[in-house]
Amino acid sequence: MKKLFFLLNVLALLPAMVWAAPPLYPAVKPNTALVFPRDHGAHLEHRTEWWYVTGWLETLDGKQLGFQVTFFRTRPNIDQANPSQFSPKQLLFAHAAISDPAQGSLLHDQRGARSGFDLAQASEADTDVRIDQWTLQREPTGRYTTHIQAREFELQLSLQLTQALLLQGDHGYSRKGKNLSQASYYYSQPQLAVSGTITRAGKKITVRGTAWLDHEWSTSVLAQEAVGWDWVGLNLDNGSTLMAFRIRDAAGQTLWASGTLRDTQGRVRALSSQHITFTPTRHWRSPRTATNYPVAMQVQAGDLQLQLEPLMEDQELDSRLSTGAVYWEGAVTALQNGQRVGRGYLELTGYFKPLKF
Amino acid sequence: MQTTALAFTFLLGEFRAHGKRVAIGVIAIAIGVAMGYAVHLINYAASSEFSQAVRSLMGNADLTVRGTRIGFNEQAYPLLARLPEVAVASPVVEIDAHIPQQSEALKIIGIDYFRAQTVQPNMLGHLADENMNEGLDAFHPNALFLSPAALTWLKLKLGDTLAVQVGLEIRQLHIAGTVPAAGAGQRIGVMDIAAAQWRFDRLGLVQRIDLKLRPGVDIAAFQSKIDSILPTGVAAVTPADGERRAANLSRAYRVNLNVLALVALFTGAFLVFSTQVLSVVRRRSQLALLRVLGLTRASLIRWILAEGTLIGVLGSISGLLLGYAVAAAVLDYSGADLGGGYFSGVRPTVHFDIWATVIFFALGLGAALLGSLVPALETARAQPSRALKAGDEENALRRLRSPLPALVLIASAGALCFVGPVNELPIPGYIAIALLLIGSIALMPRLAYAVFSHFPTPTHSASYLAVTQLKGASGRASIGLSGILASFSLMAAMAIMVTSFRVSVDEWLGNMLPAELYMRAAPSGDTAYFSAQDQLIILSTPGIARAEFLRSTHISLDPLRPAITLIARPIDPANPAARLPFIGAVLPSQPLSSTQPITVWASEAAADLHGLVVGKQFMLPLGAHSQSVIVGGIWRDYARQHGALVINLADYRRLTGDERVTEAGMWLQAGTIPAQAVNNLRASLHNNTRLDIAEPGEVRRLSLKIFDRSFTVTYLLEAVAIIVGLFGIAASFGGQALARAREFGMLRHIGVTRRQIGLMLAIEGALLTTLGVLAGLLLGWVIALILIHVVNPQSFHWTMNTHMPWVLLSSVAATLIFAAAITAWLSGRSAMSVQAIRAVRDDW
Amino acid sequence: MLTLSHLSKSYSSSRPILQDINFHLNAGEYVAIMGESGTGKSTLLNLMAGLETPDSGSIVIDGHELAQMNDDQATQLRREKMGFVFQAFHVLPHLSVAQNVALPLLLNSVEKQQAQAATMSMLAAVGLADRAHSRPHELSGGEMQRVAIARALVHGPRLLLADEPTGNLDPESADSVMQLLREQIKQSGTTCVLVTHSTRAAATADRVLLLTMQGLIPQGDNVPHTIQS
Repeated sequence: MKKLFFLLNVLALLPAMVWAAPPLYPAVKPNTALVFPRDHGAHLEHRTEWWYVTGWLETLDGKQLGFQVTFFRTRPNIDQANPSQFSPKQLLFAHAAISDPAQGSLLHDQRGARSGFDLAQASEADTDVRIDQWTLQREPTGRYTTHIQAREFELQLSLQLTQALLLQGDHGYSRKGKNLSQASYYYSQPQLAVSGTITRAGKKITVRGTAWLDHEWSTSVLAQEAVGWDWVGLNLDNGSTLMAFRIRDAAGQTLWASGTLRDTQGRVRALSSQHITFTPTRHWRSPRTATNYPVAMQVQAGDLQLQLEPLMEDQELDSRLSTGAVYWEGAVTALQNGQRVGRGYLELTGYFKPLKF
Repeated sequence: MQTTALAFTFLLGEFRAHGKRVAIGVIAIAIGVAMGYAVHLINYAASSEFSQAVRSLMGNADLTVRGTRIGFNEQAYPLLARLPEVAVASPVVEIDAHIPQQSEALKIIGIDYFRAQTVQPNMLGHLADENMNEGLDAFHPNALFLSPAALTWLKLKLGDTLAVQVGLEIRQLHIAGTVPAAGAGQRIGVMDIAAAQWRFDRLGLVQRIDLKLRPGVDIAAFQSKIDSILPTGVAAVTPADGERRAANLSRAYRVNLNVLALVALFTGAFLVFSTQVLSVVRRRSQLALLRVLGLTRASLIRWILAEGTLIGVLGSISGLLLGYAVAAAVLDYSGADLGGGYFSGVRPTVHFDIWATVIFFALGLGAALLGSLVPALETARAQPSRALKAGDEENALRRLRSPLPALVLIASAGALCFVGPVNELPIPGYIAIALLLIGSIALMPRLAYAVFSHFPTPTHSASYLAVTQLKGASGRASIGLSGILASFSLMAAMAIMVTSFRVSVDEWLGNMLPAELYMRAAPSGDTAYFSAQDQLIILSTPGIARAEFLRSTHISLDPLRPAITLIARPIDPANPAARLPFIGAVLPSQPLSSTQPITVWASEAAADLHGLVVGKQFMLPLGAHSQSVIVGGIWRDYARQHGALVINLADYRRLTGDERVTEAGMWLQAGTIPAQAVNNLRASLHNNTRLDIAEPGEVRRLSLKIFDRSFTVTYLLEAVAIIVGLFGIAASFGGQALARAREFGMLRHIGVTRRQIGLMLAIEGALLTTLGVLAGLLLGWVIALILIHVVNPQSFHWTMNTHMPWVLLSSVAATLIFAAAITAWLSGRSAMSVQAIRAVRDDW
Repeated sequence: MLTLSHLSKSYSSSRPILQDINFHLNAGEYVAIMGESGTGKSTLLNLMAGLETPDSGSIVIDGHELAQMNDDQATQLRREKMGFVFQAFHVLPHLSVAQNVALPLLLNSVEKQQAQAATMSMLAAVGLADRAHSRPHELSGGEMQRVAIARALVHGPRLLLADEPTGNLDPESADSVMQLLREQIKQSGTTCVLVTHSTRAAATADRVLLLTMQGLIPQGDNVPHTIQS
């Protein structure tokens, strides 16, 4: 009897915290066929989603630049019953960065907004995400265009398909841990031919290059003990591609690793944890956040062994004002025996603070 | 060099010998400076905290688009955000939330964090320790961030819950964190905009959209461009406009307080004048001797001014110290609100303001110098050989007496009353009062002469001596007279004005409160209301015969001015005067048709500030729409200084679809006692404690209490004026008694008793004060008329009828006369010591 | 008429100003007291006026013991029986000549018409009948002192006390004022004590006494002479 009273008292305190309608997030399940162009679009029921474009650009005078354009979508854990047009049922974030060795550190800008009022939107029909004047869109032909009006630069890029779409993991079901639900839907568009312009300090320059697009959505991704990951996506010069990642625990040990290798003939080989190793070969310490990043790595993916060297060491990105993470996202060159064999992007997260999802 | 040393000795000697009178001058200046400085510091702290609040609410915005207090359609947000000139548009919901058990409302700002990051970074909430907010984030509909000042005020800590009233319902908010960048004195809460809209029933509306424009955009050009696309009543203003608007709220009030404080300083200057004149007159032959000994006219003036300087410096410094202490104490104990009710929601602390300090120091010094200048010039002008002769004192004073300048001053004062306000402040009115005062003081010697020379000479010896003294030395008498005149007239003017105001407010309250019982949804804020359902319940409550509902909200007719109050209440179109105290003509009722504009009735302030006249048509913004309306009449309103419009409740409901009301006036069924009806109402509204129910008598009592509180400063100043007046009498009689020591000595020799001399002085004092009080009453009445008919309508936009506080005036007058007689008598005693008998032997 | 016996006076604890002064004056007698500064002439005059009280001894004026009187009684006695002439005239500036002269009559509550008549005849006696309505600042020093003499005698006092009446006057005015004073007191039979430094002024008295540390010392027989104008 006493116990019941206690319970009632506790319940009396609770109403302030109980919502009329908490959000229900669908789980990521294996053997779900991705359907395009629908799956190019947003999956608003899922908790998180991103479209991630990274690549190397070359100016007319031969200078090498890295670039990154990312749109994140998240469905926050809020009361779905709020009828307000401002209700933050979907939040959108975008990052854009340019790596220019002449600059020494990233040129970077970010945006965040709640979706609504037709100002910030992620279409469910096809890739069409935007926050104010920042856009990433896919045309029916498969060509992507992006326009980013950042504080210090403006990007206007067109990304043309040169290869078929690459489903990651098991037909797009990409596991991130031992638990089956620790997974995402994930596909990539590698070897994209880039053309367009970069405007800096009022000067518009023409660029071309090669890029990689990832589109990934999920609800619960990481195991409890995971603190971050290392990810690499490489467009190899011979036309083959490699994607590899590993999830780390607090001790820096690999909790899970996975990857996909597509050869010049288009044959896809899924790589599991035992086939992938990341070995740091050089660290760089950020003067701003005092974080140590393994900016140079030895990557073993199946029988492919590559040395990754950054375009420049300082490619740290501080997004504490939007998504909240501090990480390293940089252009890297893949070397074999000291010779360049490809280019791509390396992402190092969880080194500043354990990532929280 | 030698003259300087001599002057120094001379000065020191004077100060040592007459320290008490010097001290009176110092105290008078100190009181004036202290009052002015304290009032300024308090107002400065309050208004700077206030505009700081406005500034930090607007943040980095280049423009703020704002409309009515209810808000405007949120669809304006994407419209503005998409304009190419706009870098970021940040929508804001503003709520004055009623907190049960708190008399002041809490300002809650609903923002979109993503937009506010660039536009209002100071408004960003800082989420407290994660453990304290299990599962709670900034977007949670109950998450509220409080500024440090609000936390202190509400005695809450992070993790606590805060109850707010919405409608008649209580909703719990969770204190999720702080707003660390909010100004130190600002009491605000911040929520997510969606949560604020939902929790406070404001769906679809925003109060503000702050715009950050792209670099290079011409703000003024953009402002006029968007004015055409914004709905009526919604306008874009710059932060400077916003600050000006906030300052406008209280400007007239602050200026009035400062002027009152300057009055205290003026009386101080006058006191210095009268002590200096008497001291110079008393030392006339000494000064003449110094002139004979070779002191130049200029250095003599410098000497006397040096005395004034010393008084001014001592007085100013002690006044500044006192004023600072008073300001700090007042801000500490009762807040910045000196009773005007303009500065709720901020809790400022006193700040040292170097310019104000310099200015008030200069004012105090200037007052003392001014007080010394006239006697200095006069002394320097005197012929030393004549001044050496005894009996020349009266000549010295006679020269101050020329009626022409005084009459010119008074005439210009009259003319100034008909000049309109300057910069919306009644500056000409104040100058008129100052000129009238100075002119009347200058006329005093003439008045004293005119009155006393026709005064019958009594045969009783003490009265004979007193009257002949007043007749013969009316010039000297007029100095004391002027002091009484200055203080009594100012006191009388303030008393007449305040009484007129109070009686008018009382009458007005009677007119405004026709019902038998009044009920408000909450005493503060704009979140409480009675729903349509509640209204039906009220009407069917046992004991209630009928009820009239009232909806009060704020709308902005002019974005540069404070919002006016829109009152929707049932008005009989055939007889609007049944509910509103009209001034002047009232339009006959309009035939009801959709093409005709709807009739509204404007308060005096609304009419004055927005140029409304009976019959004028204009567009009235109502929610998302605007409606053509016509002014049907102007009514008197003392409650809403920034203006009010009354619209028929039925019209309001038809136009807005808003069924909610904020107040109800109820008539009881025969045989129902009010207490019973109150109980029934509480019972039927399921809400026992939060309803604010009162009978008209209570409302009236409460209103008059608030009225009295807001005039506390005025009452205080009246008291100061009287004290300064008494000081003046004491100083002038003290000085005279010393100057007349030889006369007393002779009289004692020829057989006049001490008592007779005391009586003589008492009669002189009483006669003089009676004349001063009568003249002061007349002058005070004229000044009151200026205050009532010029200053008040110009600063507060309301008129009133004149009412004389006879009991107060006559008792103060009697007290003054009695006090003057006592003071004069006492001052004679010191002059009648042995020293005074020796005085007959002193040639000087 | 005036008898001082064993009169002593000192201020605080310092040396006595006056010690054991004995002095008698008959009615109608006119005596001049001379002496160096600081010998106590003024104190002696104040004691005789009842403005100060002696430490010991008695002052009898017209049969009244002054030393035993309180301030009010002394004032009353002064009002009725004494008149004063000062060095600095002390004519009230805001009163007319006639009003100044009439002051003692007012104080003694003399009926108005009677007072007016007395004032006019007194002014005539001092030669200022035509200046009755003048203001003091319009008068010369000599005239001012005549007004003072008129004021001192208008109510017919028994005793006139004059303190250096010629001190502020030029020799010519001084002589004429002293002549007037003597004429008036002799005419009315008023007893008079004159305190002065001026031998010329003292010469108009019946007797001259020198106030020294040893007391009042008679200066032989003074033959009062009339100063010819």
